[in-house]
Amino acid sequence: MPTLKIDHDHCTECRMCYVVCRELDINAVYVALEPLHRIEIDARACTYPGCTACLMYCPAEGSIVEVESGRSMVPPPPEAWRRRGSALPV
Amino acid sequence: MHTILEEFLDKWVWPTAPGAPGAAFRWRLTKERCLKGWEISLQRTVDEIEKELPRADEAWKKARALRGYSAEGVHMSIKQMSAQLLSVDLDGQARYIDLQRMRARQIWDECKHSKLHADVLIGKGWVTHERELMDNPLANIQPLPAYFGLSMMFPHIHPLARAAQNYCPKAIACLGIMAHLRLVDDPLVRHEYLSQRDEERMHYMEGKFQIDMYCTTPETQRPVEEALDYLLHQVAGIR
Repeated sequence: MPTLKIDHDHCTECRMCYVVCRELDINAVYVALEPLHRIEIDARACTYPGCTACLMYCPAEGSIVEVESGRSMVPPPPEAWRRRGSALPV
Repeated sequence: MHTILEEFLDKWVWPTAPGAPGAAFRWRLTKERCLKGWEISLQRTVDEIEKELPRADEAWKKARALRGYSAEGVHMSIKQMSAQLLSVDLDGQARYIDLQRMRARQIWDECKHSKLHADVLIGKGWVTHERELMDNPLANIQPLPAYFGLSMMFPHIHPLARAAQNYCPKAIACLGIMAHLRLVDDPLVRHEYLSQRDEERMHYMEGKFQIDMYCTTPETQRPVEEALDYLLHQVAGIR
């Protein structure tokens, strides 16, 4: 299964992903003790691609990356939020 | 539709967490109400930039920085945001604890925006210290006469009323930043907007998140609609 990681060159540490992940009670996004108390994603707890919520509220372009493909997931590509057959808003 | 608005919608508005309980409400608000206001406001900003740009003098840069400072000055930001923090009473704390965290952080964020405008004014030598701005009327007025008073009253309406303010006017701020970055080459002006881009977008995302997650019943949706009525009228003249 593909996994996500934070790209610290782009992340602004706003912690929206942290709030979102906790709101959904997944708790995969955490603040790492080392080296700089930065946001990280625990791949064992993260349910991506089942859940893509953090991608939808992240404001910093390029800051969450799919590890296996290396592609940026912010802003989220259409297949990350349309794939479950959700109706398009427009 | 302007290409800047189209880009903003595709990148930051339509993407939605599958199953987000308030998403259908947010989409409806966006399509039926926000889009018109966003279009009017963006066009106004683009027209302004295109009118001012050929003059290429320093006066409009100074006026823009003063206007930014007056919209986001420390005195306004602290008072407005801290008052809105109080919108969550003790009974609502368990439900809205993350909302409180976001709002508390926004107090500092808003003050930082004003500091970035002050940095430009200091960097250009127009003021020697931010304190001087306290005596400058141009750094302390804005064209929205009731904005401060009524937005202070949001906490007396409902904890979620602020979500409308984050979602709608913050989108306008994001669009204004995108317009400046697309149309203006001046490095000072670009710095002024680039330095605030991701943070404004974060505040927009806070509104988007709060509506998607919390505005799920008529009781929690009504305050957002009421706040939008006021904001869209103030910002874009929409009744």
